[in-house]
Amino acid sequence: MAIYALWVINKAGGLVYQRNFTADGLAPLSSNDALVLAGTLHGIHAITAKLSPTGSSSGCQVIEAETFKLHILLTATGTKFVLLTSPAELQAQADSVLRRVYEAYADGVMKNPFQTPEMPIRSEGFDARVGAIVKPA
Amino acid sequence: MTIYSLYIFDRHCTCVYYQDWHRSKRPRPASSGGILPGVSNAISGLSDTQGGQRSSITPSGGTVVAVGNGELDWPDTAGSMSALSFDEEVKLVYGIILSLKQMVKKMAVKDDTLVNYRTSTYKLHLYETMTGYRFVILTDPHAESLRFALRQLYTGPFLDYVVRNPLMVMDSKEQGIDNELFRAATDRFIRGLSMYN
Repeated sequence: MAIYALWVINKAGGLVYQRNFTADGLAPLSSNDALVLAGTLHGIHAITAKLSPTGSSSGCQVIEAETFKLHILLTATGTKFVLLTSPAELQAQADSVLRRVYEAYADGVMKNPFQTPEMPIRSEGFDARVGAIVKPA
Repeated sequence: MTIYSLYIFDRHCTCVYYQDWHRSKRPRPASSGGILPGVSNAISGLSDTQGGQRSSITPSGGTVVAVGNGELDWPDTAGSMSALSFDEEVKLVYGIILSLKQMVKKMAVKDDTLVNYRTSTYKLHLYETMTGYRFVILTDPHAESLRFALRQLYTGPFLDYVVRNPLMVMDSKEQGIDNELFRAATDRFIRGLSMYN
């Protein structure tokens, strides 16, 4: 029951925030690899919405592999919050973490007058709040 | 708890079999030449040129499909057509599977592969065999992982009616693996699953 990493992807598919919480659990990714994967995930999310056998669907929300799980929160503005966790992580827990990260994002990033929207996030306040959400002291 | 559809892909990345049960958006017939013959009577756009009209009853929900003069006659059911033609849909499914498998391979520490993914309206499960056959099934989003079911489908109906069938040409690039016994056996198997309906 562990959280491995968090990514924030802007509405164009570019990675704007990446944070790893444990050293093991996932293979180490260079920042270029992470950018490519985030773009791929953005595309995959769009296509999964089209494949629904019963009418309109959201994009994929959970992707499960054997050694990890990927939870995606799509906000109303097209920003994606992606949480990479161990396979045993509960759906409700991951969802609540994503919601709180979104709140921290709204407070620490969107309300920051020096932050250009859709650009990489460099904010100590946001980092601190995310750290507190994922690893409550 | 319902099961929507099943696709089987071979190692040449083509769809060799398709069957559906409860899909409310009917698959649009494929453009001719888009898919191989012998995948499914329900979505083949090819006409039966061997003289004589033929009608086949697909096991899904009693829809009667008459394949005769190149026109497919869908009854006016409540469901509408999906926006994509079948061959496009199949390519998208395969593309998604491939991209997700590559992504998982990149990110995981040890050998790992995609198990399933879920959206708000469906869940897609994948089972891959050693020979490169990929079994893909779409169910409602609350289903548990159906990997075991796909494995049983492989070891049961698939091995019996496709692999051990001397009339079936597997691994050809021009022919699917649709045959009556296999279709009936998978239908029985899927309907027998506890999560069907």
